[in-house]
Amino acid sequence: MSKLFGAAATAALLLAGSAHSQAPAVGARPDQVAFRAIYKELVETNTTASVGNCTLAAERMAAHLKAAGFPDSDLTLFSTAEYPKNGGLVAVYPGKDPKAKAILLLAHIDVVEAKREDWTRDPFTLVEEGGYFYARGASDMKAQAAIWVDSLIRYRQEGFHPKRSIKMALTCGEEGGSPFNGATWLVQNRRELIDAAFALNEGGGGSLDASGKRIAHGVEAGEKTSQSFTLETTNPGGHSSRPTPDNAIYQMVDALSRVRGYRFPVHLNDVTRGYLTQMSKIVGGQAGAAMTALVANPGDAAADALLSRDPSVNNILRTTCVATMLSAGHAQNALPQRATATVNCRIFPGETREQTRETLVRIVADPGVKVSPIGSARAESDAPIPLTPQVMGPIEKLTAQMWPGVPVVPMLLAPGTDGKALAAGGIPTYGVSGLFFEPDLGRIHGLNERIGVTSLYEGRDFLYKLVKIYADQP
Amino acid sequence: MFKLISALAASSALLATTASAQAPAPDQAHFRALYKELVETNTSLSVGSCTVAAERMAAHLKAAGIPDADLTLYTAPDHPKEGGLVAIYPGKDPKAKAILLLAHIDVVEAKREDWTRDPFVLVEENGYFYGRGSSDDKAQAAIWVDTLVRYRKEGYRPKHTIKLALTCGEETSGAHNGAEWLSKNRRDLIDAAFALNEGAGGLLDEHGKPTVHTVLAAEKMSQNYRLEVTNPGGHSSQPIPDNAIYHLARAIDRISQYEFPVMLNDANRAFFTKMAPVAGGEVGKAMTAIVANPNDAQANALLSRDKGFHSMLRTTCVATMLEAGHATNALPQRARANINCRIFPGVSAETAMAQLVKVIDNPKVHVTIPEVRGAPVTSPPLTPAIMAPIEKLSGEMWPGVPVIPVLQTGATDGQFLTNAGIPTYGVSGLFSDRDGNGVHGLNERMRVKSLMDGRDFLYRLVKLYADAP
Repeated sequence: MSKLFGAAATAALLLAGSAHSQAPAVGARPDQVAFRAIYKELVETNTTASVGNCTLAAERMAAHLKAAGFPDSDLTLFSTAEYPKNGGLVAVYPGKDPKAKAILLLAHIDVVEAKREDWTRDPFTLVEEGGYFYARGASDMKAQAAIWVDSLIRYRQEGFHPKRSIKMALTCGEEGGSPFNGATWLVQNRRELIDAAFALNEGGGGSLDASGKRIAHGVEAGEKTSQSFTLETTNPGGHSSRPTPDNAIYQMVDALSRVRGYRFPVHLNDVTRGYLTQMSKIVGGQAGAAMTALVANPGDAAADALLSRDPSVNNILRTTCVATMLSAGHAQNALPQRATATVNCRIFPGETREQTRETLVRIVADPGVKVSPIGSARAESDAPIPLTPQVMGPIEKLTAQMWPGVPVVPMLLAPGTDGKALAAGGIPTYGVSGLFFEPDLGRIHGLNERIGVTSLYEGRDFLYKLVKIYADQP
Repeated sequence: MFKLISALAASSALLATTASAQAPAPDQAHFRALYKELVETNTSLSVGSCTVAAERMAAHLKAAGIPDADLTLYTAPDHPKEGGLVAIYPGKDPKAKAILLLAHIDVVEAKREDWTRDPFVLVEENGYFYGRGSSDDKAQAAIWVDTLVRYRKEGYRPKHTIKLALTCGEETSGAHNGAEWLSKNRRDLIDAAFALNEGAGGLLDEHGKPTVHTVLAAEKMSQNYRLEVTNPGGHSSQPIPDNAIYHLARAIDRISQYEFPVMLNDANRAFFTKMAPVAGGEVGKAMTAIVANPNDAQANALLSRDKGFHSMLRTTCVATMLEAGHATNALPQRARANINCRIFPGVSAETAMAQLVKVIDNPKVHVTIPEVRGAPVTSPPLTPAIMAPIEKLSGEMWPGVPVIPVLQTGATDGQFLTNAGIPTYGVSGLFSDRDGNGVHGLNERMRVKSLMDGRDFLYRLVKLYADAP
């Protein structure tokens, strides 16, 4: 069964890559068709902070669950008066054993902004093309959100009676753009509703190499902290017909060039040491040797230089900071009075945001550039995630069945997730998805975000089975 | 008579600077109210209304007795808030061509949070008026309205008809431009032998003493360029060196370091020649030297320390606006900058653009011209008929202060009128501080004394022209 499935998946992947019109096998199962409709509806519900509506998306997902037979009493739509469009949903699928603690399935349903004029296709229309689904949220993270909803529907339809209750929380505000964060709000206001032994969340996933071959299946073992800083310069300005060397934009450009040129020192912890050690064997060659060398000596500049060429390795070796937004000036014909830049940092576990701010101040080396953190520090935990055998056993077993020979690798996650908010609230949260991505991470947050069709359907099968195993665990 | 008025003006100006609490002369009180009303009517493109400002100025003229038939409030279709006013003050001689007084009433954007005081409240403090437009160009606009009100009240009957045009859209390239619209659609209404406009004034030294009185002899062309970099973007947790903001930043850095070569024409040659003895010392010598040899690097370096001289010697380009990114946690997909260039007369917008592209030297940075602000202009020559009254009055009001032709580094609406066959001269008698009075910038201001002196100067100057044969 397992071997057969693996072979089928590989064949489907090949087909998807060559000619998707001849690939009826992928996504043709009736249950896949039903899932696809949910996924499409969720993706096509715009949930950006600017013009979107998470509350509407949550209502639509609740409607699917209700249609599948979930009683209203097990569906809690929530929102606050202050942020009426940033609502979410908690669903409860009751277990048989009242003493067994629940499992929580977490997903955020908001997405990063996407401008139609920048994209090749409409970012809020799900387009299947060349073996990929394209849309904002196609990967981050309406894939997993739709899989959670779909899994609960399937359990319900097949009359699955788990030992533990299965809870699902769909939340808004993970991507920033609004001060409201649904996961934090639930922890602080409806802690009992989402109480669970542990939670499953985004943050894990597999990596494909450039040719689409599965390299490793990552499980999140810790994550960096995302913190944005505002850099600001001010100037009296004046008429642009009489420019002066002292210019708010030029001062900002100088500061950004220093940020661009700076590399934080290599920082290793148990998770990344384990990851590099494991990956060194998989990758082999020069890169593998560099991984081994860096673990032995984090000060090995040659190894660092070689590995850091790959942005997906660079970002687990150190804190990174990058300019993401700019705004300056008040008129085309006036010297700028103010220039602001947003620098987004991904802080290595154990380092603080104040330390990072101080580093930025030091490298910018211009007292005229004000560096201040955006937002107040969230209640978050950056402690390592305890990957117990109880959690890892089922993941390893299923991975071996579905993708034989692909190792399960604990990893440090560079993007931040809501898992920190739950962990801070006493619910250990694990990032695992079974969704495999190319080195560009599915272009999440960027243009033309996408996910492989095969990757999506396989991830769905993986999570459906994984939750069942956990739910029946003693 | 002239001397008397001049003496009166000087004393009233002194009073204004030392003790503003003392009641000014009644005509000054009216002028102040009018100026205040105009400054406090927000006419920025974003949220203001020139139409309201024009209506308010028309009300003053009507109250003074100018009949409705001589007041034309106009708005172009599709631009309801960007209207203006044309007023006619009829002359005795139907064969004498009219004189046109031009001023724009729109202002550059001003953000309350950036300013020390509310930019749309006229504040008088330590001898200055503060407010957006207090200099550019609501000082001269209010003086024009006030001048017509005074003429009417005293029953003045000029030989030439005097026309006034208050227009909108001067400050924003690409916005509906009232002067351009009038010259294309109501050419008859504003027809005149010549026009007086903003574009020159006088310079004060650091003690507030007038040094030179300038008249516009030529003007540079304002041209915006858009720099744009696009990129697939991605998650900001995985930065890569190929970043739209970093490409743009490097391009801007190169532009900031680049200096266009020194160019000379009749206007700046005359300016530096006449200015040399006034400035004296090292600076005066450098002025003489650069006129003799534009490649004199030492003279160039010394003069270019002064931003006004620096701009008068060359084309300048400066970054004025930036916009990039779509989310704090995403790599930018698009980064844009506006580069505002002030192009030396005779140089085309395309030539300057080619130079920018060369300086940037990065094919990922796309340089385009977002809009063109009218055709380039060759300013009319400063004939004796124009210069004599200015020199005469200036000699009376500011004895010993030379009148000097100047290359205006900004750009004015004179471009549209001159190109439409109405030669337009920049003269105001308004003296400003060396920093340019914060025009377009923060805390724009105007010396109370300068404003009142300029008002008297223009009131008398227009009479001289209007009674000339």
